[in-house]
Amino acid sequence: MLELFPHSLSKRLTCLILFVVVGLQSDSILLADDSKINAHEQFFLEKIRPLLEKKCLGCHGKTPDDIKGEYIMLSRESLIKGGESGEPAVIVGQPEKSPFWKSVTWKDDEIQMPPQERNRLNETEIANLKQWITEGAIWSDKKLTSPATRSTASKTETAMSTSGGQSPTWTGRTYKPEDVWAYQPIRRPPVPWKSLSSRQSGQRHPIDAFIQQKLKQKKFSSSKPAERKILLRRATYDLTGLPPTSKEVSTFEKADAKQDWSQQIKRLLKSPQYGEQMAQMWIDIVRYADTSGFANDYERPNAWRYRDYLVRSFNADKPYDRFILEQLAGDELDPENPEFVIATGFLRSGPWEHTGMSVAAVTRQLFLDDITQSVGVSFLAHSFRCAKCHDHKFDPVPTRDYYRIQAVFAPVQFADRKVAYQPFENISGFKNMKMRTEKLIQETRIAQQALSQKSKAAINKWLKESHYKNLNEVPKDKRPPSRWFGLTELERSLLKINNKRIAYFERELKRYEPYAFSVYNGPPINYQSTKTVNLLPAPKKQQGEAQQIFILAGGAVTAPTEQVTPGVLSAVAGSNNIQEPTAWNTIPQSREGRRLAFARWVASSNNTLTARVIVNRIWQMHFGTGLVATPNNFGQKGEKPSHPELLDWLATWFMDHGWSIKKLHYLIMTSNTYQQSSHPVNQEQVQNQDPGNRLLSHYPTRRMTAEQIRDSLLFITDELNPEMGGPGVFPEINWEVALQPRHIMGSVAPAYQPMPLPEQRNRRTLYAFRYRTLSDPMLEVFNRPDSEISCERRDETTVTPQAFALFNGQFTHDRALALAHKIKQNTTSKSAAIDQVFQQIVLRAPEPKERKWALEHVNEMQLTHQSKPPHKISLPGEVKREMIEELTGKSFAWTEKLDLTENYVQDLKPWDVDPETRALAELCLVLMNSNEFIYLR
Amino acid sequence: MNRLQRRDFLYGMSASLGTVALNALLQAEEKPSPKPSPLKSGKPLAPRDPHFKPRAKACIFLFMEGGPSHIDTFDPKPELEKLHLKEFVRKDNQVSAMASGKRYYIKSPFKHKQAGESGISLCEHFSQLSGIADELCVYHGLQAESINHPTACYHMNTGNRFGGDPAIGSWMTYGLGTENENLPAFVVLPEVAYPQGGSANWSNGFLPAYFQGTALRSKGSPILDLNPPAQVTRETQRKNLDLLAKLNQADMKRHPHEELLAARMESYELAFRMQSQVPDLINLDKETKQTQEMYGLGQTETDSFGRRCLLARKLVEEGVRFVQIYAAGWDSHDYLDRSHKARIEAVDKPIAALLKDLKARGLLDETLVVWTGEFGRSPDNGIRSGRQAAGRDHNAKGMAMWMAGGGVKAGHRVGATDEIGDHAVEVVNPIRNLHVTLEHIMGLDDNQLTYFHEGRFKVLSQTGGAVIKELLG
Repeated sequence: MLELFPHSLSKRLTCLILFVVVGLQSDSILLADDSKINAHEQFFLEKIRPLLEKKCLGCHGKTPDDIKGEYIMLSRESLIKGGESGEPAVIVGQPEKSPFWKSVTWKDDEIQMPPQERNRLNETEIANLKQWITEGAIWSDKKLTSPATRSTASKTETAMSTSGGQSPTWTGRTYKPEDVWAYQPIRRPPVPWKSLSSRQSGQRHPIDAFIQQKLKQKKFSSSKPAERKILLRRATYDLTGLPPTSKEVSTFEKADAKQDWSQQIKRLLKSPQYGEQMAQMWIDIVRYADTSGFANDYERPNAWRYRDYLVRSFNADKPYDRFILEQLAGDELDPENPEFVIATGFLRSGPWEHTGMSVAAVTRQLFLDDITQSVGVSFLAHSFRCAKCHDHKFDPVPTRDYYRIQAVFAPVQFADRKVAYQPFENISGFKNMKMRTEKLIQETRIAQQALSQKSKAAINKWLKESHYKNLNEVPKDKRPPSRWFGLTELERSLLKINNKRIAYFERELKRYEPYAFSVYNGPPINYQSTKTVNLLPAPKKQQGEAQQIFILAGGAVTAPTEQVTPGVLSAVAGSNNIQEPTAWNTIPQSREGRRLAFARWVASSNNTLTARVIVNRIWQMHFGTGLVATPNNFGQKGEKPSHPELLDWLATWFMDHGWSIKKLHYLIMTSNTYQQSSHPVNQEQVQNQDPGNRLLSHYPTRRMTAEQIRDSLLFITDELNPEMGGPGVFPEINWEVALQPRHIMGSVAPAYQPMPLPEQRNRRTLYAFRYRTLSDPMLEVFNRPDSEISCERRDETTVTPQAFALFNGQFTHDRALALAHKIKQNTTSKSAAIDQVFQQIVLRAPEPKERKWALEHVNEMQLTHQSKPPHKISLPGEVKREMIEELTGKSFAWTEKLDLTENYVQDLKPWDVDPETRALAELCLVLMNSNEFIYLR
Repeated sequence: MNRLQRRDFLYGMSASLGTVALNALLQAEEKPSPKPSPLKSGKPLAPRDPHFKPRAKACIFLFMEGGPSHIDTFDPKPELEKLHLKEFVRKDNQVSAMASGKRYYIKSPFKHKQAGESGISLCEHFSQLSGIADELCVYHGLQAESINHPTACYHMNTGNRFGGDPAIGSWMTYGLGTENENLPAFVVLPEVAYPQGGSANWSNGFLPAYFQGTALRSKGSPILDLNPPAQVTRETQRKNLDLLAKLNQADMKRHPHEELLAARMESYELAFRMQSQVPDLINLDKETKQTQEMYGLGQTETDSFGRRCLLARKLVEEGVRFVQIYAAGWDSHDYLDRSHKARIEAVDKPIAALLKDLKARGLLDETLVVWTGEFGRSPDNGIRSGRQAAGRDHNAKGMAMWMAGGGVKAGHRVGATDEIGDHAVEVVNPIRNLHVTLEHIMGLDDNQLTYFHEGRFKVLSQTGGAVIKELLG
């Protein structure tokens, strides 16, 4: 076992102290020569030069290849001289006569600068320019010292030590301390136990101490403890994404309070569904999908192994620092370790495509930009994309860092590495699924052969009629097109569609081969097309220099400027390796080992972001909102932490406890803050003073997520197959959407066919095959995010299509019937059945009046159902597809056989059961749509 | 759950086709401040003042998916007659695999005619549109960036080539709200097969879900699950809803502080009413025979697109802010002659009818009609399958689009591509400037129409842009 991180407290503390000192000394990288600067120069350097850099030089100087209006403003001479008009832009001493001044005031109709209205100069800036021109337009190329040490600068602002911006002004700019909190070392604040002084010593919890401190300051009271049933439901969803069983609820309601609560948490943390719930959380962030997106939306036949790796990792409570290392650099840690190689699927989880129309340099850059952004957002809560084209507008993230981090990934090339299936990987369905795919390929090939034979016959006939013996005799430009001669338009279209279909299924076949969706380090390769499998090239071809990375002017791949070497985010305390190189903040320039070094920088207790970021995500899982409400953005424009001391205390505690996420859950869930009721003590006070409940005076009510709704319904009816892992499965989705033609470059994808057996279909949503261009509409309306952009937090909008999906959709109707059937089998009276419906869905017995309503309803519905027996509806055996053919510009249609409907076992349907069951199902449907079911309190 | 969410929600319903008087519900809420931020006012879809006097109140965006060839529609290139089948050598340093191999100049297979007083050139197959050519402002200076369909579609629709950002229609409804709160503000009328890139082309992106485009599907249920499974009668549904309401009421009494509960309950009632009202909305039978004929309904070639153009007019008449209609199949790498001819004929009559109809009803002045693809096509082709299959490949640097109505410079050609149609050379503008122009026509200032997301104020133009003044009348 590798000893990667000694979690030694003393060592870390030493580091922290060291960095504090460094932080104080590293104010500026600029030279102190302002003793020689006169007042006019000072004015220029402080007021005018930054203005030019910010507002003008983007078009008039920084990019020599692309100067607008031939006007260069890099020197006094050229600024005065003017541009293409030939007239001087500045009349020194006379601003009103200077076209330059007129254009920035927008007084001139001809030229108004800067052209974007939002970039226009403000009054102070215009006044400064006027003064500057009036006083002689004095220029200086001298450098100012850091603003922090100058008397003119605000004392409260601090400069940040970074690898340096594209301009000295940016490099030297200062920040309000509260805006750069995330780059400062994580502190170890004392627990404010005083705030809990009224509680008995055995009942004091550090989290409560921090929360109560703030509540008391604002004179809020916290809520009473939640009902046990409500608490267990909340906890079970938090940790497994599923409801508790009614048996679990009744056991917990009876048990000894304190002791049993901790046992409940431990039980839930041990359940395998815990890993599934956590994997879903991580997937939202890293955008896992089973396809590549864009025009072809190609299948990624082995990506599922990474998804299952996530489930395993969380279930094993893999230390989070370790988890980071494996995903970023598992192959560098140990290329022979299957789990490590599979983990690197992270690096390729974003959408990516290279087609015949793509420019290789562009698609390469697409990958580099994607991984840079993904790493920043996922681990460091920083959207680095903002620094792609320019130094970050708000955060101390120079564009240099963007490309330095990109350089960490410069050697990364895609490889589908052969990694034998591990005993714990689920490959149970392979045989049948593979046979089906092979059969479809075979059938399509036969259809193709028939077409090509027809074409051959036509050619032979033509040869005969034209008196040729064979094609070779025919002059090249007179030969009939060999592939489709003699075919009708429809047949020609089919030929094309079948070819695409074969390619589609051949890719699918790779699902059943032991590849890992992974990477290797190597020299640049020129993409030719998106291959089905990118095999690891021969060792010799892996040798050679890694791609060089340049700062791209304006982010354009065509405009490389300065070359950079791999680096880290320099603003993080102690990370500026240009000023303070250490083993921790330095990335090797060799082809190998860059990612591992970078990963070690990320997954370090010295990193001021990493632990805070993950602790905040876990907090959000339990309270709906993080201590920082923007978990993907810890920068200036993110939300400030509501409880900064608590965040730091938790981050420290987390690292002290071996980066164990399970221990963190336990800590949070044992607090009174977590266990309190969702009913505020003083609703009016909450509404007026803390409508967002940032103080946590009560537990925040949440709506279930899309996946939780689907999984819960299947769970309640006993239909959920708890099988874990394996390639994506195909559940039933809205049939209209399933059979709607889905565009894949020049053709239509094979119809979406749900798997034939209920146990195959009714798996957890996590295991449903995830297309980027086709989503289950029911999940979509309940705010499941798409898989292009990292999702930091689920939306909870309420829109009418949700009512359509849940009240009208086939899925809920099927579940309602299944539940009614199950209950009917196990109960002897209608009233008992009704009680059970309530127990199963909302985990309680109905109130007397509810029981009365329900009984009346079921009785009435029974009469209706007795008078109206349902008609059996069979599934279609084929589907008519249509699209507009590019070759003709006309719409054409063909029929696709739906092979899986032949042996399809439908879920329980109305015609399978008696009217009594159908009547009970109406009640189930109603309760499944109720607010009580859909909200977690 | 705070009060804001509850009020937002009411508009979420109308965003998805609620056809019920929401006013009664809304009157209970306090009046918004005079210039509210759309979301803070709690009325995300209520009409809002534009930033300045708009030229148009509504927009119909005709999206020709696949990349229509400018050279064979609105931008004839006589020079290609001379160069036809001569070898073409591209000098760019960033060459895609598509542009490899031997390539040849290809002349347009069509004749071009000048039409109207303005003398705008149109391909001969635009026989109907040429009758109303003086309404068009044809623009030749636009340049896209991507030459792949989905990324180029995303770029044209959202400003971001990689998707995930709000569509133009989302931005406009976010900025302006809608005139008719009983209808969705942003409607999309796709082909049966969705365009490349799928529904992300009309996504609300990071804007709240109320601003998502509502797709009225061409086949089957116009809105998914608008109706319950076949055996469920309306009576049964009503009774289920009544029970649901009673149970929810009881629950609400137990949780009086949770304000979203009532709103979610109401969404079910709205859904129920919509079931009967949506079919009416999309029913075109009440239009006169003459109108139906004019739009090409009932004729194989034009029926599909014609129906959607007619529906678009109906929707705009009802106060819908932004309607987007897709016409697919323009990706003519081969057989340009017949495939583009068929495509043009499929849209020519419906578009001409739409413009005439809008004009006759006095709506053209306040409606902006946009016609564009995601990019144009190349003057050359690596000829495949023998020479009879000549077509054109993708071209981001040269394309054609036009606008009509809404205060655009009618009867003008603006900008130009070079003599072979390879790239724009006059009044050259990136797509973001088109977006700023569209906003401008609708009375919106790109700089002011912002939404804070991922740490910055985002705009449709992504990085800011300028109005293409040449296009404005």
